[in-house]
Amino acid sequence: MSDGVNGGEVSTGRVRTLGTPAVRTEALWKVYEHDGIRVEAVRDVSMTIQPGEFVVLAGPSGSGKTTLLNMLGGLTRPTDGGVWIDGTDISALSERELARLRLERLGFVFQAYNLLPVLTALENAEFTLLLRDVPADERREKVEKLFERIGMSGLEDRRPGKLSGGQQQRVAVARAVVGQPALVLADEPTANLDTATSSALIDLMAELNRDLGTTFVFATHDTRLLERARRVIRLVDGSIVGDDRRD
Amino acid sequence: MSTRRRIRLRLALRNLRRQKRRSVLSGSAMVLAMALLVFSRAIAEGGHEDWIDAGVRMGGGHVSVQAPDYRTRRTLEYRLSPEVRAAVQDALRSDEISRRLVASAPRLIVQGLASSSQAALPAAIMAVDPELETHFSALQDKLMDGRWLEPDDRLHAYVGYRLANRLKLREGSRFVLTAQDANGDISGQMVRVAGTFRSGIPDMDEGFIQIPLATAQEWLGVPGAVTTEALLLRGSRDVGPVRRELGRALAGWSDEAEVLGWRESMPELDAAVRMDDWADYVFHLVLFVIAATAIVNTILMSVMYRTREFGVLRALGLERGEVGRVVFIEGMILTAISGLVGMALGAAIVWGFFRNGLDFSALWDMEMEAAGVVIDPVIVPRFRWNQIVQSLFFILAIGSLSSIYPAWRATRIDVAEAMKFEE
Repeated sequence: MSDGVNGGEVSTGRVRTLGTPAVRTEALWKVYEHDGIRVEAVRDVSMTIQPGEFVVLAGPSGSGKTTLLNMLGGLTRPTDGGVWIDGTDISALSERELARLRLERLGFVFQAYNLLPVLTALENAEFTLLLRDVPADERREKVEKLFERIGMSGLEDRRPGKLSGGQQQRVAVARAVVGQPALVLADEPTANLDTATSSALIDLMAELNRDLGTTFVFATHDTRLLERARRVIRLVDGSIVGDDRRD
Repeated sequence: MSTRRRIRLRLALRNLRRQKRRSVLSGSAMVLAMALLVFSRAIAEGGHEDWIDAGVRMGGGHVSVQAPDYRTRRTLEYRLSPEVRAAVQDALRSDEISRRLVASAPRLIVQGLASSSQAALPAAIMAVDPELETHFSALQDKLMDGRWLEPDDRLHAYVGYRLANRLKLREGSRFVLTAQDANGDISGQMVRVAGTFRSGIPDMDEGFIQIPLATAQEWLGVPGAVTTEALLLRGSRDVGPVRRELGRALAGWSDEAEVLGWRESMPELDAAVRMDDWADYVFHLVLFVIAATAIVNTILMSVMYRTREFGVLRALGLERGEVGRVVFIEGMILTAISGLVGMALGAAIVWGFFRNGLDFSALWDMEMEAAGVVIDPVIVPRFRWNQIVQSLFFILAIGSLSSIYPAWRATRIDVAEAMKFEE
């Protein structure tokens, strides 16, 4: 089904550009077959997300949120249909090109934080900039500014093991946004956090979305995040069953 | 170094440090294997060198000069004339040879018969210059009764103890040596037992006699001639250069003289040393497998354990091959460090505890013989540069081979699946 939003349309007042959508999918399918059993994880999903949107993919467990998010991030290849990120058809990209696209245009925030345990908080946050060959001074400046903003100043040299869950997730958010990607994909980012920490993290991401114009797409069933989203795409059994905007 | 290379190296190094206990445990298997390798190589090298040394002292030296075909015919027809011997002596004075030379000894060897009033038995008769032979052969140290030959001796013989027993000879007994002379006639020479020896080599103890060179030359009608000019060198490594230099110097005498290395003049010893080498290779292969298994196991465990981490690296933009390279570098670093530590440990053990020799006399008979050589139960370990180079190559080979599979496994990780992986 289609969400009725076409690329190029104005979606919210905070959307940065009206040109190329941040995300577009067309008739997207993901089918798994195991021992003769066919599971349609994502079914015929077509949607468009404009730059600057703060979107939640909502739905019960097994509704296909994470699979859809993984396909948007190029982590899983679709069985059928197409995904365009910032105008690029990623279904046609090679492994190497996909890796480059993830590095330059995407940011990821995972449920389990997934910081690299051998790097410090600062090194984790600047990791994608390092891969992009950004000069050291520029890297440090960007990360330090961001750390100040997310309340992580003074904790730069700590390894993930020495940070609380909330602090680790802040670093993960910093890592995702520091390179100013076209899109940040976050899979259940608040699932492992307590209420207060979750709220603070949601505030932080909303702030970054507002101030930096970073596009966020979440897969979650956290009601607090659903309340803060300006657009909620509801999934059931792999299909989109609703697309609510709250401008 | 490019940024990405630096990142891969940093991740690999830090991960090894992070998994300190695991790194140390698997590294210690490598350390042990390498230490054992260095130790066994040094012992094998020292043992071989001692073995070769004992063999060449009893036999024809590291390098020998003989008449062509003497090796197969063993008759006086094939002997070195005084002129050829003079050319050999000239060549020995060259710098290339003299700095490698320990001793040289002329020898006249014939097959003959030793007869006493009790029996007549076949014997190998080696005529030697007692003065020069003192620096060369170890046979005089194997004395049982009487004495060895002296420079002024004329009609004296140094006899294997079993041969002496069978001929019922004692110190001072007279007996007759019979052999074919230079004219092909059978000729006899009466000699007196100066002493008897026990070499530990049955063939020698049962059928070997030494007499003075001058006596044999006169008896067999070959004044100034010998069958072999034997050269004892500092070690078996010197054989090649000396052989080449001597070959060049004697190029004008090629019809009358050929230069042989110990491997050619003593093929049984050569075969035995080679066989022993193979046994060493098999032992080293076992060490290789032990070390490689430890490394593969560690790195593979680490890859399994870090599935999610590799998934994250891929999600963040590292390519498949780069993730594999991180794992490969880890394996190489672990192998290189533990390999070098193992080499140093092995060398320290050898040098610290066994530099004066490792005594195996409790394990084997004092007269253990192999390939016609009595092996000294005290083996002095030896290091060679090629050993170190080979060991380094060995380390790198273990490192690369045992890291390839885990690295490949790391490249095959499905990113989306990896995110579900519970650490």
